[in-house]
Amino acid sequence: MGPLIPQDIISGDLNFFFALIIGIAFGFILEQAGFSSSRKLAGVFYGYDFVVLKVFFTAAVTAAIGLFFLKYLGWVDFNFLYVNPLYLWSALIGGIVMGFGFILGGFCPGTSLGAAVIGKIDAWFFIAGMFLGVFIFGIFYPVFEPLHTGYFLGNPFIYDTLGLSQQWFLFLLIFMALAAFAVTQLIEDNSTRFKELLYTQKLSVRYPLLFAFILSIIILFLPNQRHSYANEMSRNDLAAAILSNERYVPVEKVVHSLVHDVRDLHLVDVRPVAEFNTFHLPGAVSVPLENILEKTSEDNLTGTGKTTVLYANSSDKADMAWFFVTREGFKNIYVMEDGLNKMYNFLFSTPDTLVNNNNNMTPEEKFVQNARKWFREGSVQSAVKASMPAPSAAPAKAVKGGC
Amino acid sequence: METKVKNEVKPYMNPYLAGFLLGIVLLITFFITGRGLGASGAIKSTVITVVGKASPATAESNHFFAEYLKGSPLKSWLVFEVIGMLLGGFLSGFLSNRLTLRVDKGPGIKIRTRLIFAVLGGMLFGIGSQLGRGCTSGAALSGMAVFSTAGFLTMMGIFGTGYVIAYFFRKLWL
Repeated sequence: MGPLIPQDIISGDLNFFFALIIGIAFGFILEQAGFSSSRKLAGVFYGYDFVVLKVFFTAAVTAAIGLFFLKYLGWVDFNFLYVNPLYLWSALIGGIVMGFGFILGGFCPGTSLGAAVIGKIDAWFFIAGMFLGVFIFGIFYPVFEPLHTGYFLGNPFIYDTLGLSQQWFLFLLIFMALAAFAVTQLIEDNSTRFKELLYTQKLSVRYPLLFAFILSIIILFLPNQRHSYANEMSRNDLAAAILSNERYVPVEKVVHSLVHDVRDLHLVDVRPVAEFNTFHLPGAVSVPLENILEKTSEDNLTGTGKTTVLYANSSDKADMAWFFVTREGFKNIYVMEDGLNKMYNFLFSTPDTLVNNNNNMTPEEKFVQNARKWFREGSVQSAVKASMPAPSAAPAKAVKGGC
Repeated sequence: METKVKNEVKPYMNPYLAGFLLGIVLLITFFITGRGLGASGAIKSTVITVVGKASPATAESNHFFAEYLKGSPLKSWLVFEVIGMLLGGFLSGFLSNRLTLRVDKGPGIKIRTRLIFAVLGGMLFGIGSQLGRGCTSGAALSGMAVFSTAGFLTMMGIFGTGYVIAYFFRKLWL
């Protein structure tokens, strides 16, 4: 559903109208919170007023929780969101320079605007300085350019960078924010300076903060997230992919790959586990159709470095599985055409006697003969045999049983 | 300049409530526009427009000002948003009786010192927000809300530096 404008759900012409309304709300809240006072803002660094930390973290965590749930419910497609690009050193050095600017100037850009319009003269000078700074940056851009556009690392998410799940990260973020609130409140209460700056509405926030803590635990234990929603295929692309037959891999290719131990295929058996246990193709992994969209199945679908081929007894179930995962955005997934039934027919429909006569055999017949032998006896190469997952039912017989 | 009429001036909003409301505004902004909030971008648009108008040659030779040639930077989302911020800030100050001409400064420094450092700080923020591709709002706050590594990194840069150097500039504020 969201975001609305990037997906043309509402007209881009309304964009500027929303910008104005959102700006009014933003400016109003910043001024109400006391961000129009440089002394209150600077207090966060000197321990007498932590309004910056409280407002900033509460806002960031609130929005992060909100986006997390909107994504979880499928209401916001992260694919359309602006995720800040990471130019490593530019981002870090820019932050450090802004840190100096904060201590020296007592404002940040957003806060200086609200301060300026209510008559804070220091904010006017700060804003003049900002214009000057951007101008200097522009004039000397050739000097800054290598830093500004260098060390580009894509648009990574912080939880991926840290190697955590999004849920764990959000839990820790909320936990850290609450801990920071508790510690800074203690410091603020014990500070004797500038008490007049803390002229703030009295309001108990015990229950909202408790709620945030409970929410963080709920987030941690949420059932499997709708993964890769952001990569979801568009309707048109999906329709085109379904109508094309490019997903089908002929049985012959699979047989060839197995018999000659090419190991270029990653075979995924989407039949129920019981059928998989009775018989499966050598090297295949079991991902039953009903589990195909679980997060744990992801590693079996992608990142194996091989071509993933789904199979079942016929094409039907494998097609269904293919449809699910393709819709979710997985690429390069194939289906063994007509499944194990076709493979069985291919291998064993001709009588043995015909192919026993070696001299008259065509290459195709020879191939079938060798494959048949391989399936009957198990692999001639011990390496393949070793890679065959247990249980090792007699393949030929089991193929029949599986059909 | 430091006179206050305390009976009339309303107290500031509870910071957690303000933060929650700000977070909701930020969330709505993401839901509608796909982008977060910002402030420094409008300054950039203005500077680029002024330079582009004054000296088109500069805009042609310099990659930073070249953005001027791509269209009208002043008709950007952030410029309208910042106009809204000015209106909203004024409205809030008006309703809370905080409209007064004054300079906020630490007790130990002269007004002139405060204003010089305000310009310096603004200048550094101007430069830093270009490198950081956004300021405390656009890079740090909005960046954190979408879980972007860049947002967290810039946020840590800003506040980490602030704490490291605060001691050396304590005379400005304490």
